[in-house]
Amino acid sequence: MVRVKSRYLLCEITVSDRSQLLQLDDRAVATAVRAAVARTHGDYGAAQCVIGFSVKYLNAHTGIVFLRFPKRCYRLLWSALPFITCIETRGHKIPCVLNCLHVGGTIRTCQKFLIKYNTQQLHQMLPKCKNDEEKQQVRKAILTCSLPGSNRKESEEDFESEEDEEE
Amino acid sequence: MSVDVAQAPPSLLVCERSSFVEQNNRVGSHVEQLHFNYKVSLLLPECSSAPSHLDSVLKGFSSFYLIRKLPIYELLNKDFLETAVYHGSVYGLSYKTRVDEDTCVALMPNGRLCLSLDKYSFQLLGFEGTRSRFRPKDRHIVSVDLTNNSMAPGGRGYLRLLTGLMSRLPLSMDFLLSHHPGGGASLQPLLSRYDWSEHRPEMINQVLPHLSCPSDPKSCDAQSFLEWLGAVDADIGSENSSSSFLSSFVCPELKTVLSRALRVSICGLLLPPDVHRLIQEVRRYLEQTRLETWASLTVHGFADSPVSWRDNEHGHLRGGENFYTLLMFQDHAYHLYLATGAHDTCPP
Amino acid sequence: MNVDEKDGSGVYQRVVLKNSSPYHYLKVCLVLEDELTRLSAVELKHFIITGLKNLYGEVGAALSFDLLKYDEDTLTALLRVYSRGLVKLWSSLTLLGSYQNQACAFRVLQVSPFLLALTGNSRELHLD
Repeated sequence: MVRVKSRYLLCEITVSDRSQLLQLDDRAVATAVRAAVARTHGDYGAAQCVIGFSVKYLNAHTGIVFLRFPKRCYRLLWSALPFITCIETRGHKIPCVLNCLHVGGTIRTCQKFLIKYNTQQLHQMLPKCKNDEEKQQVRKAILTCSLPGSNRKESEEDFESEEDEEE
Repeated sequence: MSVDVAQAPPSLLVCERSSFVEQNNRVGSHVEQLHFNYKVSLLLPECSSAPSHLDSVLKGFSSFYLIRKLPIYELLNKDFLETAVYHGSVYGLSYKTRVDEDTCVALMPNGRLCLSLDKYSFQLLGFEGTRSRFRPKDRHIVSVDLTNNSMAPGGRGYLRLLTGLMSRLPLSMDFLLSHHPGGGASLQPLLSRYDWSEHRPEMINQVLPHLSCPSDPKSCDAQSFLEWLGAVDADIGSENSSSSFLSSFVCPELKTVLSRALRVSICGLLLPPDVHRLIQEVRRYLEQTRLETWASLTVHGFADSPVSWRDNEHGHLRGGENFYTLLMFQDHAYHLYLATGAHDTCPP
Repeated sequence: MNVDEKDGSGVYQRVVLKNSSPYHYLKVCLVLEDELTRLSAVELKHFIITGLKNLYGEVGAALSFDLLKYDEDTLTALLRVYSRGLVKLWSSLTLLGSYQNQACAFRVLQVSPFLLALTGNSRELHLD
C-alpha cells in the first residue's frame, strides 16, 4: 500500500487590524488561494489545485492556517501564496498577507513546530513585560489556558496560540 | 500522474577537433557511415562564385531513382543481388514512410537490409528480429546481412525471408534507390519491371551579401556557432537587439561583417562517396584561396531512415535529426559536430 | 555535459555534450478556419503569449521565446525557446483553439535542439 503524500503549509495571516481575523472562515481562505493560483499559474495551476488541496485548520483568533497541498506540486502552489493581498469574506475585503512559517509532511509535525514557535515567541516577549505583575499574569494565563480578561496585553496572541495547542 | 513541465528535453552533440594531416582522423569514416544523406549545404565566406573544380563536383552528384510501389521481395531477387548488391554498393530507402508510424525499409551499401516493422507486421513476417529501442513494445527491427552465407539465394534464411515477404507480409512501397559506382546501369534490370523515374539532386546557389558572422569560428562555442549556421541556412536575420519584442536572436559576440558569402545547397538522395569528393575539393579550394578563410559543410541525414551512423538504430521522436557539420580551416584543421536525437545511440 | 575522451596532445579531441543545448527550436504552422485571415508577426507572437497566459498564468506569460522567422503567406513560424520552457510552450500551442472567434490549430511540424536540423527536413522532399 502506498500513501497519498501531501505537504502541509503552516501559514500565518497577517492583517493590520486583528479584529478582522474573526470574520475569516475556511472557505474564504481556500477561495483566495485558488484565485491566486489560477492567476499566477493559469489553468494548469488551477487544475493542480483541484485534487488534494484543502484548508485543514484555521484559527480565526490567531490567524494560523494549515494548508494541505499534494506533494508533487506543492512548490508550484506555494509560489502563488505571496500574491494573495486580500481575502474576501461575506462581502468584505480584508487586506492581508500570508506568511509561511513551516512546511511539514504531516499535521503532527506542523503542530509540534507551532508549539515550539509560540514558546519561542513567548520567551522573546516575556522580557518585554514592564513589571512582575504582567509576568505573573502571563504565567497564570498559560496555566489556566483561558482567554484573558479585558486587560489585554501585547502578548495576547501567544496566550491564544498556547491555548489552541492544548485543545 | 503529472509530469514536470519545466524539465528540459535531452539533446546530444559530439564535437571532434583534429586535423586532416593527422593519420588517424576519422572524417572519412564518419562520412562513409552516414548512409542516407538528404541535404548538403556548403557555406563559403568571401566567395561570390564557386571555382570551376568545385562547381563540377557540386553538379556531379549522382542521380537517384524513385520506383513506385516496389515489392520488397524484389530486393532479394537473385539477379539483383548478383548485379548490384554483391558488386559495389546499393543505397535504398523507402520514400514517404515515417519511421515512427509506418514500415520503413533501408538497403545499406554494406549489403544489410533493415526493416523497421510494427508489432503486427513483425509477427506476420515471422523472421528473427530485435526490439526497437524507441518503442520496445510495438516496434521491431529486422536486420539481415544479404552478403552472409545463410542469406545466399537458396539458403534457409533467404527462403524464409523471401516467402515471408512474398506471401505473409507482401510489403510494397515507393523506394529511393541509387548505386555506386555503377549508377543506373546495374539497377536497370530491376527498374525496367516497375514504374520508375530518374532524379537529379536539386542544387540552389545563393550569394548572401553583408553577412554578420563570428569573427573567429575556431574558438567559438559549438552551440552558438551551430545556431548561427542554422540561422544563415534558414535566412534568419540577426539584426535584433536584445530588447526587441519579436526576437532577441543575435550573432555570437566578436562578430565581423562579411562582404559576401556563397551558400550552396543540394537536396536528394546523396551518396557518401560524392560528399567525400566534395570535402576534398573544398580543401583544395581552401588551399588555393589567398584570403584567411574557412568553409563549413553540413550534411543532413534522412529523418525517417531506420539507421543513422553505421547500423545504429534511428528513430524520429521529436525531430529525427541526424546531421553533421564539418568546419574546415586553411591549416588543415577541422571541427566536426555530429548530432542525433538524444535517444539514438551516440554517433561513432 | 560530460567529456567522453580527450587526447592530451591536443591533436585529436572528442567531446560528447549531453543536454547542453540552451535552446530548442520549433517549426510551427497556424491553421485557421478562414484561410484568408492574415496575421502579422507581432499579432502571432501576442496570440501565442495569450495562449501561454491562459494555460500557465502570469508566470507562463513571462516565458521568453523568440519568433525567429515568420512567413505571413503560409503562417509558418520558427520559434526559439529555452529548453526548460519547451514543454510549456508546446502544450500551450496545442491547447490554443480559437483566434478571434474562429477555430484554429497550431501544427508543430518539427522540434529540435538544433536550428540546423530545421533547415533540412527530409519529410519535405517531394519528387513528382
